[in-house]
Amino acid sequence: MEVSHSIRERTIAENSLVILLQGLQGEVTTVDLRDESTARGRVVNVDAFMNVRLEEVLYRDRRGRLSQLADLFITARNVRYVHIPDHVDIMETIQTQLTRIRRVRNFAGEKRGRKEYLKKKN
Amino acid sequence: MVLLRSVPRPSEGVRHEQGETTAVLDGKGLGAGTLYVAETRLSWFDGSGMGFSLEYPTISLHAISRDLSAYPQEHLYVMVNAKLNDEMQENAHDEEDEDKSSEEDACEGITEIRFVPSDKAALESMFSAMCECQALHPDPDDEDSNGDFDGDEYDVEEAEAEHGQGDIPSFCTYEEGVSGLRAEGQATLQRLEGMLAQSVANTFHMAGVRTDETNGEFDDGMEVDAGSTVAGQFEDADVDH
Repeated sequence: MEVSHSIRERTIAENSLVILLQGLQGEVTTVDLRDESTARGRVVNVDAFMNVRLEEVLYRDRRGRLSQLADLFITARNVRYVHIPDHVDIMETIQTQLTRIRRVRNFAGEKRGRKEYLKKKN
Repeated sequence: MVLLRSVPRPSEGVRHEQGETTAVLDGKGLGAGTLYVAETRLSWFDGSGMGFSLEYPTISLHAISRDLSAYPQEHLYVMVNAKLNDEMQENAHDEEDEDKSSEEDACEGITEIRFVPSDKAALESMFSAMCECQALHPDPDDEDSNGDFDGDEYDVEEAEAEHGQGDIPSFCTYEEGVSGLRAEGQATLQRLEGMLAQSVANTFHMAGVRTDETNGEFDDGMEVDAGSTVAGQFEDADVDH
C-alpha cells in the first residue's frame, strides 16, 4: 500500500478522513456516485482530493444498465458514498495509514533525510 | 447535429497523444482523429483540425471499457458533466442555475464520449494520463480537503530554520541537544546537572537505616539516629526474605 509522494497530499490525508479511504486500497467495495450510478470494484488508489480509482468494475449507470469497466477513475466531486466493507476495522485502518505516513516522514532517522512538520497557513 | 470547431493543437503539457482515435460523442461517430491528453485540457480533433476540447473539472469520470457486450470495441469512456451543444460550448449546468439541484442537472446535462483508438494497447496509457491530469484539477469548491494546507509545497529547510525541532517530539543525542543551547542555556544545564549529582550523593533513607550524610536541609525530625538502633530489634520477625 503506497503513501503519496507528495508532501501536500500526505498532509491533507493526515488531517482528514480521506485517510480511511486510502486505507481501503486493495479492497473490493462499492462507490455510489452523485448521479446515483454505482461502481463496484477493487480500490486501486484514493488520492488526497478523494478521486477514486477502481479496477475490474461492475458499473451500474443511473438507469440501471450494467457494464464492466477494466479501470475506472471517479472525480472526487462525483463521489457520494464509499462503502466500507464490513470486515474492515475502521480505527485500525486509520492507525495503519497514519503509521505509514509517519514512517515515510522519518525514513532516514534522526540526522539524515528530511523531517516534515505540520505547517498551517496563517 | 454536432458541429465541430477548429481546435488549436495544445503546445505544452501534453501527457499523452494518441492518433488514429475515433471519437464517438453521445453515440454519434465523429471519425478518426487525434486525442491530446494535456495538463490544461483534453482535446480531440480530426485531420482537418476540427474537434472539441474538454475542461477537466467538467469530467465526472473516465474508464477503460473492454466489455464488448456494452460497446463493440475497447475504448476510453469519458463522462462529462455538461452538455456539449451545437456550438460545442460546454455549459456546466451546476454553476449556472441555482434553483436546480445538481442531481437534476446530472441527468439532463451529461455527455458520454468514447475514444476508440486503433491501438488497443494504448488504452492504459491514455487512461493513466487522464488520471494524472485530472489530479491536477482538484475541485475548488471543496473546502474540506484543502483547508489550511493549501499553497506552496512545504519547505522543510525553511521550517527547520523557523521552528527548530520543537514541533514534534523526537529524540536527539546529548551532543546535539547541548549544541543547540546558547551560553545561558548551557550554564543552566550545568547548574541543574550539578544539583542532580549532589542529590544522588546525598542518599538519604527511611528511618532505621544508616544514612551516609545528614543534610540539615532535609531534616524533618523523622530520621532516627543510627546509633540508637537496638541490636536484635527485629529478631523476632520470623519472615524470611
